[in-house]
Amino acid sequence: MFQIYLPIAELPVNVFLILGMGGLVGFLSGMFGVGGGFLMTPLLIFTGIPPAVAVATQANQTVASSISGVVAHWRRSAVDFKMGGVLLIGGVMGAVAGVYLFAYVRALGQVDLMISLSYVLFLGVIGSLMLNESVRALIAVRQGRSPASANRSHHSWMHGLPFKMRFRRSKLYISAIPPIAIGTFVGILVAIMGVSGGFVMVPAMIYMLRMPTNVVVGTSLFQIIFVTALVTVLHAVENQAVDILLAFLLLLGGVVGAQFGARAGQRLRGEQLRALLGLIVLLVGLRLGFDLVVEPDELFSLTTGVAP
Amino acid sequence: MRNTAVVLSFLWAIFASGSVQADQLVTDLSEHQISIRSNFTGTEILIFGAVEAEDPTDLATERDIVVVVTGPEGPVTVRRKDRIAGIWINYDAVRFERVPSFYSVSSTRPLSRVVSMDTRTIEGLGLRHIGLGAATGLGPTGTETSLSEDEQKVFSQALLRNKQNQNLYRAEPSGVAFLGRSLFRATVDIPSNVPNGLYTAKVYLVSNGQISDAASTPLFIVKSGMERAIYSFAHEQPLLYGIFAVVFATFAGWAATLIFKD
Repeated sequence: MFQIYLPIAELPVNVFLILGMGGLVGFLSGMFGVGGGFLMTPLLIFTGIPPAVAVATQANQTVASSISGVVAHWRRSAVDFKMGGVLLIGGVMGAVAGVYLFAYVRALGQVDLMISLSYVLFLGVIGSLMLNESVRALIAVRQGRSPASANRSHHSWMHGLPFKMRFRRSKLYISAIPPIAIGTFVGILVAIMGVSGGFVMVPAMIYMLRMPTNVVVGTSLFQIIFVTALVTVLHAVENQAVDILLAFLLLLGGVVGAQFGARAGQRLRGEQLRALLGLIVLLVGLRLGFDLVVEPDELFSLTTGVAP
Repeated sequence: MRNTAVVLSFLWAIFASGSVQADQLVTDLSEHQISIRSNFTGTEILIFGAVEAEDPTDLATERDIVVVVTGPEGPVTVRRKDRIAGIWINYDAVRFERVPSFYSVSSTRPLSRVVSMDTRTIEGLGLRHIGLGAATGLGPTGTETSLSEDEQKVFSQALLRNKQNQNLYRAEPSGVAFLGRSLFRATVDIPSNVPNGLYTAKVYLVSNGQISDAASTPLFIVKSGMERAIYSFAHEQPLLYGIFAVVFATFAGWAATLIFKD
């Protein structure tokens, strides 16, 4: 009962399972203020959705969640449109490269491996960093010291780069090369992992570009709308892997979950939130890594259609 | 006179042999078209029919019915994982050119007791005798490699195993039941993950170990309704579909901000 047939994934799923997953990830993303794609894609893969469909559909769903997120930041004029535009130039290049890499690796039969490996790598690194940093902060608070502020060392090499631009909203006068490079890298991540890339973009904007924190999230969301939109269209054209029914169900659960998550998040302290999120991220990464290392029950798999 | 006797006996011989060989099948399906809609969780089709014996008083024949339902054929690549640097990755592969997407065989008794090995091989009856088409060995980078007979067997067995696990290949050794002397019926499970396309339901009548008649009926399995529309939109107009998906998501994201505006 309550099974629904997904037209692109080509399998039936339980409606409440998908709505529940959307709700859970929405709750976490509302609580921690993150996109949640990096948790949703692995969850979809664990459910049996083909990894290619999971990635492409998650990119589509991220368009919707980024739009609902950016509206609030726009109202507070916390979006640096010029910086967003420069990041976007890189994002477009990265997205195009990423989708074609994805299609090529898919034809070789290694796309599941590529997705798993990139998740293990990123979730492992990000999760460890977050956990480490937040546990230190928690210990510092317990010992009565104020949490050490981030190391603001000066990146002098960045000021030697050409193509300097003035970003009034961010109060910066820097070269356009670092934002374009960051945008390109995140664009590739969006294309092969289906994530919004906020977990790389936001720290990079704060620590590398030294943007004021109040415009970071809004600007990141603003440019991610266009990158995920482009990735959705490219994945639809190259891989026919975007399932709008699945995206709709995830969105429905996600929107509701995010509302409750945001309220729950207000009751927890920052360091506790980050420690909890770091732990979740690390566990999902470990689970994916475990599946890669342990000998599978079935060594053989079938692919319908012609492989080159 | 003598000539007449020869002709008569000859005619008798033809007639007599005809009466044994001329048992005929009449078959039909409960449905000729199965629609996969959003609530599709699998179904079953009923295949029924009757044996019209030339000689209704003939009680001696040992009759069996074998029902084979096959789905559309296409190439399938079977990949094998190997441990490389500690992780399990798809390594080598074998591509089979004409693999039925679905295969179900039902019979009145286990096939080995119904027809000979030779007949099973020729007619492709039974899971071990499904024709898979030409096999090509593929290396880790997709280049064609030589393929030994043993290796091919390992991969074709893996294909059968995977298809059986997906419920797409199945054998029901007692799936056909006779109701009385001439009527028979078989139910064939169609799982939820069947590919769509033109299927064939073939019914074999086996008398005394020999196939004496066979009848084929087409069966269409199609995605219909919204699922069909989305699927064909995504595959026939991928660019428009992608743009539609983005517009849809934009609208949904914007609607969400209106609903939950604090």
